[in-house]
Amino acid sequence: MLSRSAFRQATRQSWLQQRRGMAAPASGSFQYQVGEASGIKFASRDTPGPIGTLGLVAQAGTRYEAFPGLAEGLKKYAFKNTDRRTTLRIQRESELLGGSLVSTHSRENLVTGAKFFRDDLPYFVELLAEVATQTSYRNHVMQEEIIPLIALDHKKFLASTSAMAMSSAHALAFHRGLGNPVKPSSTTPYVKYLTADALEEYAQTAYAKPSIAIVGNGVDHAELSKWINEFFGDARKSPLQQLTSPQSKYYGGEERIAHGSGNSMVIAFPGSSSPTGGFYKPEAAVLAALLGGESTIKWSPGFSLLGKAAQDAPSMHIATKSNIYTDAGLLTIAMNGSATDIRNTASKVVEALKGIAQGISKEDFQKAKALAKFKELEYGSEPQAALELTGAGLVRDNKPYQIDEVAKSVDSVTEDKVKQLVKEALENRASVSAVGDLYILPFAEEIGLKV
Amino acid sequence: MSYLSLAPFIQKRPWLLRWMRPLSRWYFDNSGYRKLGLKADDLIPEESESVQLALKRLPPKEAYDRVFRMRRAFQCSLAHQLLPQNEWTTPDQDYPYLEPIIKEIEAERTEREDLESMIIKKRTTSSAKGGH
Repeated sequence: MLSRSAFRQATRQSWLQQRRGMAAPASGSFQYQVGEASGIKFASRDTPGPIGTLGLVAQAGTRYEAFPGLAEGLKKYAFKNTDRRTTLRIQRESELLGGSLVSTHSRENLVTGAKFFRDDLPYFVELLAEVATQTSYRNHVMQEEIIPLIALDHKKFLASTSAMAMSSAHALAFHRGLGNPVKPSSTTPYVKYLTADALEEYAQTAYAKPSIAIVGNGVDHAELSKWINEFFGDARKSPLQQLTSPQSKYYGGEERIAHGSGNSMVIAFPGSSSPTGGFYKPEAAVLAALLGGESTIKWSPGFSLLGKAAQDAPSMHIATKSNIYTDAGLLTIAMNGSATDIRNTASKVVEALKGIAQGISKEDFQKAKALAKFKELEYGSEPQAALELTGAGLVRDNKPYQIDEVAKSVDSVTEDKVKQLVKEALENRASVSAVGDLYILPFAEEIGLKV
Repeated sequence: MSYLSLAPFIQKRPWLLRWMRPLSRWYFDNSGYRKLGLKADDLIPEESESVQLALKRLPPKEAYDRVFRMRRAFQCSLAHQLLPQNEWTTPDQDYPYLEPIIKEIEAERTEREDLESMIIKKRTTSSAKGGH
């Protein structure tokens, strides 16, 4: 028979073990719990710590925008005047509560969110509901606050060759949809298409219940459900216009843009979709780690093939990234530096790719797999980790982005899969874009790629 | 735009409003600006920051019409003439198009001043549960 003191000791021990959560999260603590409240899908995970993060992910990025510039406009209009309170009041109240407001947009999603102390969850759920349903879109706010900022973004984009090259590579790869430019490169998007009325219509399409998902880190699942039910009850049940985007198709091609300051070149191949989508290939992450370019160890070129290839050009910056979207992906190799360095290194990049198609050394492969898995888990330990990806996955496919499963699937990659990926990439069209001194920067044919 | 006015006092009492309305109509008709084709809001003095900002926020059509009315009235004043009666502003055309914008701007200003002179009390843990 259990004595009372033994029982008390057992409960005290289990309570202490729960308190240990902050030091060593168990492997299951990265998992998201999915639910539905008031017609809106939401996911949360109760990570330890005093800070909570909440994000409203709307499927309304540049891929889905009805006209150019609307996604950027809507992102900049977040947390501005609503029907109930003014911009200034929202800012001051959030500052007093010690929270910070976040509004970003990517190629596929519009993320409006906040970071706050856990106790303030109801306030910020209410604030996000107001932003989604009650923002008042006025012309004078557009003219005074939003359009000058977009004009500055435009100037910043035109000054950055790496941003231009990346945007151009996406446009070549996907044409419309995912290829829509994120930042404006001319005044047309914000002068011709961006008005307060257009934004209001777009907001009624973007912030409807079927196209949003709410993701929380460090919040309690039941609490979040309760507050969503209370505040999001009167969001629109169906969007004003159906924003559809057809399945992304990869095209490929070459684009060369003259630029007076800076040189960049981006070589891109079809990659893997997000794990929540249908075209997930974990070998793309391993390939990105294998090609690499940026060493994780200072003052050493690292084991990655492109890091070694770029050893002769120390002032050049080369980076490989596997960009994942819901139904497609792009593996990009971006080079920034002087034009002659890029010319010399570009052919070495293609040689490295052809080398992989023939064979990979076992040691390099092991290192690449380990690095891919490490980066995945490191990303997962950030508080905002996978907020956007989970939201997008929930809206489109009803599946959250579970970090543990992704890390496990990286383990299952074999050398043959990586070789296959590279072979297909080299046989089909690549997307090559060069920005800078076009006299020196090479054509795709010159470095051996097919476009 | 901060002057003492009995207008809010009267507008809250419908019986008083009914009594005062004919007097008010007679007063507006006799002030004469309608005979020059102007609206009441054209007469608001522009030399203040709130009004300058409100003028920037006017919709394009209202701004254009305002400029036209002012030019026409100035011409009448030069010629020491009134407009023919069919061109006088009618009472339903004489609606306040600028005043609501000015009030909005003033409200924003006072809100900013209120928020800046706010006294902040530190939260106690007992009141911390349940948000703001």
